[in-house]
Amino acid sequence: MAAVTGLEQPLVTASPRTARPRAWRAVVLLLAGLYFLVPLGASLWYTIYTPTMGVSFEAYGELLTAEGFASSLALSLGLGLATIALVLLLTLPAMLAVRLSAPRLRPVMEVLCTLPLVVPPITFVAGLGTSLRTGAEVLAPTPFWATLIAVQDPAFPIVLVLAYVVLVLPFVYRSLDAGLRTMDVRTLVEAARNLGASWPHVLLRVVVPNLRSALASASFLTLALVFGEFTVARLLGYQPFAVWIVTISGSRGQVSVAVSILSLLLIWLLLLAVSSAFGREKK
Amino acid sequence: MTSKVEFRDLRRIFGKTVALDGLDLTIEPGEFVALLGPSGCGKTTALRCVAGFERPDSGAVLVDGKDITDVPANKRDAGMVFQSYSLFPNLNARDNVAFGLRVRRVPVAVRRAKADELLELVGLPAHADRFPHQLSGGQQQRVALARALALEPRVLLLDEPLSALDAKVRVALREEIRRLQLDLGITTIFVTHDQEEALSIADRVAVLRDGRLEQVGAPAEVYDRPATPFVAEFVGTMNHLAGRVSGTGSVTVLGRTLPIDGPAPADSDVDVLIRPEAVQVTPAEDGAAEVLVASFRGASVRLRLALEGGEVLADVPGHEAVRLTPGTRVTVRLVERPVLVAPRTVTVPVPVIEPADAV
Amino acid sequence: MTRSRGWLGALPLLAFYAFVFGLPLAALLVGAFTSQGRPTLANMRQSLEGGNLTSIAGSVQVSAVVALLGAVLGTFLAYAVVTSRFAALRHSVLTASGVLANFGGVPLAFFWVATLGNSGVVSGLLGLPSGALYTFWGLVVVYLYFSVPLMVLVMAPALDGLRPQWREAAANNGATSWHYWRYVGLPVLTPALLGGVVLLFGGAFAAYATAAAMGAGTVVPLVTLKIANALTSDVLIGQENVALALSLNMIVIAGLVMAVYLPLQRRSTRWLR
Repeated sequence: MAAVTGLEQPLVTASPRTARPRAWRAVVLLLAGLYFLVPLGASLWYTIYTPTMGVSFEAYGELLTAEGFASSLALSLGLGLATIALVLLLTLPAMLAVRLSAPRLRPVMEVLCTLPLVVPPITFVAGLGTSLRTGAEVLAPTPFWATLIAVQDPAFPIVLVLAYVVLVLPFVYRSLDAGLRTMDVRTLVEAARNLGASWPHVLLRVVVPNLRSALASASFLTLALVFGEFTVARLLGYQPFAVWIVTISGSRGQVSVAVSILSLLLIWLLLLAVSSAFGREKK
Repeated sequence: MTSKVEFRDLRRIFGKTVALDGLDLTIEPGEFVALLGPSGCGKTTALRCVAGFERPDSGAVLVDGKDITDVPANKRDAGMVFQSYSLFPNLNARDNVAFGLRVRRVPVAVRRAKADELLELVGLPAHADRFPHQLSGGQQQRVALARALALEPRVLLLDEPLSALDAKVRVALREEIRRLQLDLGITTIFVTHDQEEALSIADRVAVLRDGRLEQVGAPAEVYDRPATPFVAEFVGTMNHLAGRVSGTGSVTVLGRTLPIDGPAPADSDVDVLIRPEAVQVTPAEDGAAEVLVASFRGASVRLRLALEGGEVLADVPGHEAVRLTPGTRVTVRLVERPVLVAPRTVTVPVPVIEPADAV
Repeated sequence: MTRSRGWLGALPLLAFYAFVFGLPLAALLVGAFTSQGRPTLANMRQSLEGGNLTSIAGSVQVSAVVALLGAVLGTFLAYAVVTSRFAALRHSVLTASGVLANFGGVPLAFFWVATLGNSGVVSGLLGLPSGALYTFWGLVVVYLYFSVPLMVLVMAPALDGLRPQWREAAANNGATSWHYWRYVGLPVLTPALLGGVVLLFGGAFAAYATAAAMGAGTVVPLVTLKIANALTSDVLIGQENVALALSLNMIVIAGLVMAVYLPLQRRSTRWLR
């Protein structure tokens, strides 16, 4: 996941410019267009055309019935939703606590939530794998051993959810931080408390509704990351969606490319949904 | 050394908006002319045509008789001060001022000395090493002024340079600009929407409206003898009183007959335009008017009087206003002088206030 | 919630973090300096030798080339888009960049395999030799697909921050385009440019999924692939700790990247205010 999502608020609003037509701009845009669009077009063509059978959309039909498609998709979806729930449950109270009553923790939060960006996923999974193995040895005589094994259950590996929460933390933090700043949470909470609201009431009726777009964007970014995540899942030996794509690529080249195209569409839709959530909030 | 600038039938259209609609104006060498008008009147566009940032659709800009319309912006000899944000953020004050000299490859020591000299001229001798973000708004504009003067241009252009500043800084800085201009004797065009600013420092004020020149003249002339109702209302405050033309060249208003300034209109029902300072107010128990509001302005007091079903504004000296508290009944008398008339628009007295004047 | 107990709200997150993030990192640190149960520097030394060193060098090379090329191309693209008259063009390119910058991974690999791979749709048309995609430059071309959009996202706001008054003031002082860019434009953009280069480097350096899906390891040595192999290979038991040492090296490099990026980003926003 990139450290920049393109959803950050601009510092200076763009001023309309009266540009004189310039040839070089057209050239740059043309070359860029070619570079970015040709692979998409070529991939599409790849999925629908074979020398032996001509044009056919068979690959897309095969996709749906391919072995492992439904299960890996369901797994990714489940992991995504679980990750969203867990990360929001952990982060939102923490950020509220810092903003409202423990401002000195703020730099700590900033550092902690930016740190995962410094640790490439491959290194994280290296350490994680080692911890799991060491844990299995060390905890073998204890009742925790069963928990450890359960967490790694291939049917629904909670360990992946835990790992994904860490990976997605910087983005969720930044999204919620921007949202809390915009809504001036301190003032609203104090006003609500002044009017006699209890803490759960404040949380549910004041904070969450005002954070709708930040929560939406955090959720969608999380979903996008989980769906595309490959490194950790593969190296811990599980098969959610992205891993499945690579697995069948060996046998069914066209199908894997077809799925890739659908992934791109999915991410596009997710980001459009996020930016429209932002757009609505601005009104 | 310093030049004559001429706008000749300048026209410029942006899409559907007409910014300039045949502007004709001549500015003599060494003159300080203020282009005054509401937003969208074309004053900034005209200025930018001199600088070269706008190209007129038709007409010409002439400097010393030469048509410069085709000269590119970076080859024109007109130093410009922008409204804001024009200092280069990565250069300190000295390097900002010396920028033009650096482009001309003037040796380092020479251009630094010249920059320091100019910074002293604008009152910032100790700020040469500061960066724009370390300077206040007023200081930034002084640096911008120094920079505009660094290349010793023949014309100085100022595009609302004081609009973004605090009121007190604005007044101080505008007087310094005028003093500097008089010392250097440089032809200056100063764009503003603030009529007080224009009247206080310019040699001549050119009032623009919808891309055309409404009136140009010395400040006193524009104020006392506005050529059109628009100028009368834009510059200062005007009361509108209903009047009737009587006889040749006179109009009856508030029971008095006053001479008309300018040609008599065709219709005998007119609006008479009276400045607040031309309304004399005397306390009287049986007076026809009553004081509604008294606004203290330091040297004078502005009274809002109820009269004949409408309202009239009157300015009185501070010491006289002690007796004129709200609720006092007064008589109103108009000063004996020629008055401006306009086609009838009101039935009861109505004061029209230029937006910047509103308290 | 009183002031003194406020931090309780942060407790779950902190605990979670210490456990799920801290433990693996600790395991990494310990393992990197341990061999057969005893503390040693042998792993670290090995991680900087032979094939391991080649893979680090390979990753650094690819990342550096991608960063520099991506920075230049991305900046030009951003400039072309930001100065255009058509707001729709700007909006669509920025949206597309947002999507593509976050789009690496597996699907990206397959797009390029379908396009320029051995049986790719375009490779035949261009007459590319077999295996062209799986070389150093092939990988660079693929990595640019998410790097250039990322640079566009970084540079577009920076270019927007170049106020038109600066350009005009420069022209008013006799400057040509060249003078403007040399004395004002580029200096003001430099923090953002450098920040972008650094960000692109970090992104390319940490990338694993795309290269793995492409199967490019055989031709281009990459440290991420090396670590993955060491972790999953049955043959190289006992090499896990070297993999951990190698991972530690990666983190150090990535840490340096971040240490350069963050202050640059802050500096860049200060001037453009």
